[in-house]
Amino acid sequence: MAGAGGGGNSDVQWCFSQVKGAIDDDVAEADIISTVEFNHSGELLATGDKGGRVVIFQQEPESKSQPQCRGEYNVYSTFQSHEPEFDYLKSLEIEEKINKIRWLPQKNAAQFLLSTNDKTIKLWKISERDKRPEGYNLKEEDGRYRDFNTVTTLRVPVFRPMDLMVEASPRRVFANAHTYHINSISVNSDCETYLSADDLRINLWNLEITDRSFNIVDIKPANMEELTEVITAAEFHPNQCNTFVYSSSKGTIRLCDMRASALCDKHAKMFEEPEDPNNRSFFSEIISSISDVKFSHSGRYMMTRDYLSVKIWDLNMESRPVETYQVHEYLRSKLCSLYENDCIFDKFECCWNGNDSVVMTGSYNNFFRMFDRGYRQDVTLEASRENSKPRSVLKPRKVSTGGKRKKDEISVDSLDFNKKILHTAWHPLDNIIAVATTNNLYIFQEKLN
Amino acid sequence: MLGRGVKRKWSCLADLEAEALPAEKGKNGEEGPGDEGSFHVAPSESDMSHLQQRQLVLGLCLEKLQHYQAGVELSLRRSVLLINTLRQIQEDMQSDGVETCTSETLLNNVHADSCLLRDDVREDMPVTCPGCSEGDGDNLPLSPPLSPEFPSQEANSSPDQQRSLPPATINSFSDAVNAMGYLSDLALDDIFEDIDTSMYETSDLPSAWAAGSLWPVSVSLWADEDVKMRPSSHASAGSLQSCLMDLNELDHIMEILVKS
Repeated sequence: MAGAGGGGNSDVQWCFSQVKGAIDDDVAEADIISTVEFNHSGELLATGDKGGRVVIFQQEPESKSQPQCRGEYNVYSTFQSHEPEFDYLKSLEIEEKINKIRWLPQKNAAQFLLSTNDKTIKLWKISERDKRPEGYNLKEEDGRYRDFNTVTTLRVPVFRPMDLMVEASPRRVFANAHTYHINSISVNSDCETYLSADDLRINLWNLEITDRSFNIVDIKPANMEELTEVITAAEFHPNQCNTFVYSSSKGTIRLCDMRASALCDKHAKMFEEPEDPNNRSFFSEIISSISDVKFSHSGRYMMTRDYLSVKIWDLNMESRPVETYQVHEYLRSKLCSLYENDCIFDKFECCWNGNDSVVMTGSYNNFFRMFDRGYRQDVTLEASRENSKPRSVLKPRKVSTGGKRKKDEISVDSLDFNKKILHTAWHPLDNIIAVATTNNLYIFQEKLN
Repeated sequence: MLGRGVKRKWSCLADLEAEALPAEKGKNGEEGPGDEGSFHVAPSESDMSHLQQRQLVLGLCLEKLQHYQAGVELSLRRSVLLINTLRQIQEDMQSDGVETCTSETLLNNVHADSCLLRDDVREDMPVTCPGCSEGDGDNLPLSPPLSPEFPSQEANSSPDQQRSLPPATINSFSDAVNAMGYLSDLALDDIFEDIDTSMYETSDLPSAWAAGSLWPVSVSLWADEDVKMRPSSHASAGSLQSCLMDLNELDHIMEILVKS
């Protein structure tokens, strides 16, 4: 796997670094991790969970004593982002589960992130306080007001250091703009606007304005009975502030240009791969449903994840992807069972490494896969407590598909479909990855010599 | 969806085997290895014939759609995927050459009123159904998909060709629809009494509703969420009342209308 620093080095070995979360197997529903995201510098790593909480980890500065180890991630801030709500009109509960977190590029000392549940997006400001004023004239240190008569001299209050305090405060709440469930948010490269997408509509917001949003995509049919397709993910282009893409449950991706018209119902480009007639089955459409779409950092390519594969598309070519990687092709013959136990509806995410040379996505049995685009190599690794010795190198895993199962291979029938890795994130600059199992967050780093 | 920790057996294969191929029973009966609390998949599905798989998937589809009844909210994406699968099975059954329902008709119990809202004439209205039960005596009448305007079509479909869907399927559809219907089956009058609805768009109103027709009930499998926001002033009180009628009543009245 190529290092982030450049070049084509396929000798990257991954080591266990840390694991966060409860050890016991009895998973509390609220602790289920629902999103993972590095900030733009990679110094901060945010996770959202089903209980509506956001936990931010901060990387410790590299220590001189252990130059071969990049800094560890420790808890920086924890806050309750969303609470469960009740929609009285429909008699339905609105889940507090955090669907997505997106960081804003840093502009000043404070950090900002957007977090969203099914209905409401919130802008959070995370700021540090490490000094406090002391020496007020009218107040005692504990805050009580002094008796005026006792004040005989004046002094200037000064800032004194205090223990670092990290505060998270909600700065904006963007509510009531989505009838359906929000699946994506994406900050524009102009840093002024962002989009939010639900099953049928995409809205454009100004980060400063909460009482108004513009609807830029609406695929709701006049007659709901004619509905056959929903929006599954959306993202802004990393460089072109007028361009965004959205994917659908039918396996198509539409690229839209906001300069063309206010309502971007007509796409500028549509990316779709013709179906392979040999693989047609009752599940064809379900497995073609795209669960994630991500632009490369360069903006030249985009990656989509459907149930069985990862596809890389060149924005200049709509007819088919330029690269296709099979994540777990051995599941193709099991689709009926996976349909029965609902696993076929699982939504896996995918991510690029810093220089767009390697892509990563999750699978079952706590396996995750990396595909090196340059070297045409792929590897399967596992996030498990068994491989959790500090700095132990991860051993590649293999699923046996044929009759004979080699030693160390695991057969398809032994895979645990309860253990799924849906969310993964790659540090924007270094070879550090965050992999979320159901309720644990694993951090792996490249082995450095 | 399975509860956590439930060990999954290959019921999908097991049932099918027991039913259709007694000779092969037990072939795939072994349970998978694995820890308690995890679930696995059946060893091989290639043994299933196309028809068997189709039947299985159809059953599973209806079962999943019925989850609405249990109060579990199916995501829109999942409902759409399930319905599309259902349609695909429908088309597959049609292409088998058996005279079957059109996709509209199959979902008829579900979209009972849809014909009323449609302007186009539906030429082909067979009410048969695929591969089912030759021996199934019950000719459960599908709720006549015909609008009052096209009574002639019922006469066209000859009675011999009328074979009903297996009762279970019809009931499943009805149940699924009733369950969905419950989502939109609110006392809309009461809700809209004191809400200022001037800002809500009215462009999504189905034409029939706007026209104040007697059967504006939308019984789509996914409740039109925006419907909740529609102002009551745009529909007559009578049509709103009828929103509260359940599907069975609708069927019954349809029958009467058509026969008269």
